Amino acid sequence: MSIASKTRLTAGTARLITLSSTMPWAFAMLFLLCLPFVFQTSSALTIMNQMAITIVFALSYNMLLGQGGMLSFGHAVYMGLGGFFAMHVMNMVEDGLWLPLPLLPIVGGLFGLLFAFIIGSFSTRRAGTVFAMISLGVGELIAACSVILVVFFGGEEGISGDRTMGPPVFGYEFLSQQEVYYLTVFWLLLATLLMYLFSRTPIGRIANAVRDNEERAEFLGYSQRNVRWISFCASGFFAGVAGSLFAINFEILTEENLNLATSGSILLVTFIGGVGFFVGPIIGAIVFTFLQTVLGLHTELWALYLGILFVGCVMFFPSGFAGLIAMHRRPLALGKLNLLFKPYLKVALPAITSVLSLAAILEILFHKRHGYGGDHEMVLYGISFDSTGYHALVMAAAIAAVSLFLVFRLLPEIRAAWDNANHAEAQA
Amino acid sequence: MALFLVNVLDGFVTGLLLFMLCSGLTLIFSMMGVLNFAHASFYMLGAYFAYQISLVTGFWAGLLIAPLIVGVIGALVERYGLRRVHKYGHVPELIFTFGLALLIEETIQFFWGKSQLPFSEPAALDFAAFSIAGNAFPAYKVFMIAVAMGIFLTLLYILTKTRIGMTIQAALSYPETVQNLGHNVPLVFMCVFGVGTAMAGLAGVIAGPVLGVFPGMAVQLGSIVFVTIVIGGLGSLWGALVASLIIGWMQTFATAYNVTAEQVLTAMGFTKPELIWDHPLQDLWTLTLPQLGPILPYLLMIIVLVLRPQGLMGNRES
Amino acid sequence: MSVPAIELRNLEKSFGLAKIIQGVNLQIAKGERHAVIGPNGAGKSTLFNLITGRFAPTSGGVFLHGEDVTGMKPFEINRRGLSRSFQITNIFPNMTVFENIRCGLLWTMGYRYSFWHMIGRQQDVTEKAEEILAQINLTQRRNELAGTLAYAEQRALEIGITIAGGADIILLDEPCAGMSHSETDLIVDLIRNVTEDKTLLIVEHDMGVIFDLADKISVLVYGEVIESSTPDVVRASAKVKEAYLGASLEEEAV
Repeated sequence: MSIASKTRLTAGTARLITLSSTMPWAFAMLFLLCLPFVFQTSSALTIMNQMAITIVFALSYNMLLGQGGMLSFGHAVYMGLGGFFAMHVMNMVEDGLWLPLPLLPIVGGLFGLLFAFIIGSFSTRRAGTVFAMISLGVGELIAACSVILVVFFGGEEGISGDRTMGPPVFGYEFLSQQEVYYLTVFWLLLATLLMYLFSRTPIGRIANAVRDNEERAEFLGYSQRNVRWISFCASGFFAGVAGSLFAINFEILTEENLNLATSGSILLVTFIGGVGFFVGPIIGAIVFTFLQTVLGLHTELWALYLGILFVGCVMFFPSGFAGLIAMHRRPLALGKLNLLFKPYLKVALPAITSVLSLAAILEILFHKRHGYGGDHEMVLYGISFDSTGYHALVMAAAIAAVSLFLVFRLLPEIRAAWDNANHAEAQA
Repeated sequence: MALFLVNVLDGFVTGLLLFMLCSGLTLIFSMMGVLNFAHASFYMLGAYFAYQISLVTGFWAGLLIAPLIVGVIGALVERYGLRRVHKYGHVPELIFTFGLALLIEETIQFFWGKSQLPFSEPAALDFAAFSIAGNAFPAYKVFMIAVAMGIFLTLLYILTKTRIGMTIQAALSYPETVQNLGHNVPLVFMCVFGVGTAMAGLAGVIAGPVLGVFPGMAVQLGSIVFVTIVIGGLGSLWGALVASLIIGWMQTFATAYNVTAEQVLTAMGFTKPELIWDHPLQDLWTLTLPQLGPILPYLLMIIVLVLRPQGLMGNRES
Repeated sequence: MSVPAIELRNLEKSFGLAKIIQGVNLQIAKGERHAVIGPNGAGKSTLFNLITGRFAPTSGGVFLHGEDVTGMKPFEINRRGLSRSFQITNIFPNMTVFENIRCGLLWTMGYRYSFWHMIGRQQDVTEKAEEILAQINLTQRRNELAGTLAYAEQRALEIGITIAGGADIILLDEPCAGMSHSETDLIVDLIRNVTEDKTLLIVEHDMGVIFDLADKISVLVYGEVIESSTPDVVRASAKVKEAYLGASLEEEAV
């Protein structure tokens, strides 16, 4: 037994960098480098940049919520302040300060860290509800200040800048969207790697310990407050990096970058993705940005759908999308994942139909109520019809009822398949 | 002096209104350990329901029915939502109520749209109750004070004189003992949540005509409510009352007196720079007290937290 | 006489009107295995909480190796070489057994708040953690979540976390509570093993364990130490018998 543990020991620690640990990173890098060759339009690049920024922001948020057990309602403050300072520095570069653009995120990050240090000094004394309320109050305070302190925050118009005024880096001046994309992706990978490594340091692990049992950690020599404070500062730094990337990409920052709505949406992003997993916020950021930009184009009700998704997520799958994926690790390990394919495929069609038809009911009701100026014609899923009558509504309701019925009838089958796939054979 | 008196009354109205929200929030928090982030959303629901009912029956029926509906919705939320999330702990509960707040706001926009609704005080109360040196004080505000005081006194009576009140009080001081009291705890929780949200709904009904009925009304008041109970001390009813009144008066007086930083700075002997619009200290010179009004509660919260982390009258640390 | 490892001077603690600890004076020498016994509600756990900084005393002082630690926070006291276990199992249920032990090691091995070490690559921590796992017989459970262990294993893990940091004063709060006879024997052997050359202060209800382990025994009744001596003296003491019997009779009467 002791020999077995010895071998495991050496296998785990002898080689500094293993192939299996670098593979995902190399793959991610390659994937991100190739993406612009597939999606070449400017709007696609903007969406991808937006996703990258949200990923960094969400990962920094999860350093608090997922790893440190701190629920913040004011995390936008650190991204926003980092962004505002980065923007001011960008304008100083325009006036002659020497700073290549790719280094700007460090500046924003340091300001994020500074403010996290100051605010964390009193907000990290307690976790849980008290921390959450203080974060909310501080968030509101800074957002309200942004309207008053016009010199710094630029009032309602915000402040803007020009990223192309810095010294060229290897001949690049960041005029094109593509160049900005590669700059953003560079920082996305670097920040993600650093945050990943942070979770593997002594302080990263102790942050988990304090999250799970703060009292026990205190009796092991750790001040729970200091542990939270350090995590908070690190999180503030990466939020500031995200803010700088925002400044570089959009060249404008407003009160909106600081306010409660932004803080709330990053909570939503992170939670939907899955707080218990490092990749959770990444998934959440991609899904959220996609819904926001693509769904937002097609329906006014996207925020309602997002709210339903969020509340449903908290109630029914609190480990988020990443948790749903991770649930399949055991069937995979048992080599029984294939047992789930058929039932999943069977339920997919009625499930999608029921979601779409339920959404259709909402859309038709909304159109009936708020149809503009006698505009009764409505186009839904490529079908054009009159929303005044009840035909369309009844039809949608009927489809919803039938498809939901089918879904519920298939549930026992799925459950059985699931149990089967998770059940190792005797002596297996 | 007369203006001062009017402001004292106005601030009192605001403070009592805040307290109607804070008391429900505190009761729920103390008993269940849940900070109901959606509390202000129930306040908003109250206002919208009352508006919708008032279209059919007039103001007074709305005043009675709307809070009841809100309370029932609150109880259902506790029964089928919160109780489900409870097993994951207090932070997920808080996240759940946060999601609920988002959902309620979106739902309200779904039904009533984004613009402000024309909800006004009943004609019977649309007159000046009295006037102080020419400043008329509307009868509706007297009515608001009466309702809020009525709620407050009822609450006080229930908490100090009835059996269920004693149970609740015991739970306030010693949260872990509530399980041992032999009451049907889940039912008590559901009722407390229902009553708390109904009180928020009632506050919404009476505040609607004064503060306006629009989808942002929950956000507008929500953060202030949370800040108030943090200042007062989480879980302390008296703390909530004191903090509500302080914030009510602070905000009223800040908006009523247009003291500018320029006046203060000039009085202190500084001279105003000529080209103020490009000056780095421009904000310092153009600052006015009404501008500062909205951020005063947050500043107060930070000061209180630094000096007394458990809040003004809180005794519990977390 | 050399400086005692733990010294309590006129220690008092009241909760509201209830005086739980009323003037305890106690000296525990370095390397001694000292047990505290007493009827339920005598204040044993409160005494532990006072020594370890979980509660601040109402009056009086706590000294570790002659240093006044009264009113210090738990982590400050822990850094001065005192570690404790809890009556109700207090571990990190969502971490693996190995990680639980590692958390106990990090501070004293000098990693503190480090964010520049990769924890998986610190050979010294890993080796030490494996060593402790072997000591508490949990090597085979190494990669399981601590929350999924059997009760007795969790208790052993708790002791493992407690001793991991190499503290020279160990406080164990009812380590054998709720265990079967065979499990108790194993735990007692384990305790004897891991507290070699250390100062041990233990609260326990199982008298077999106490008389087996302890060099000295203090009897706490209603917040006062009525006897503090060797097991033989305590066993023979009329005062102890009276107090103990009286208290247990009262208990039965209730």
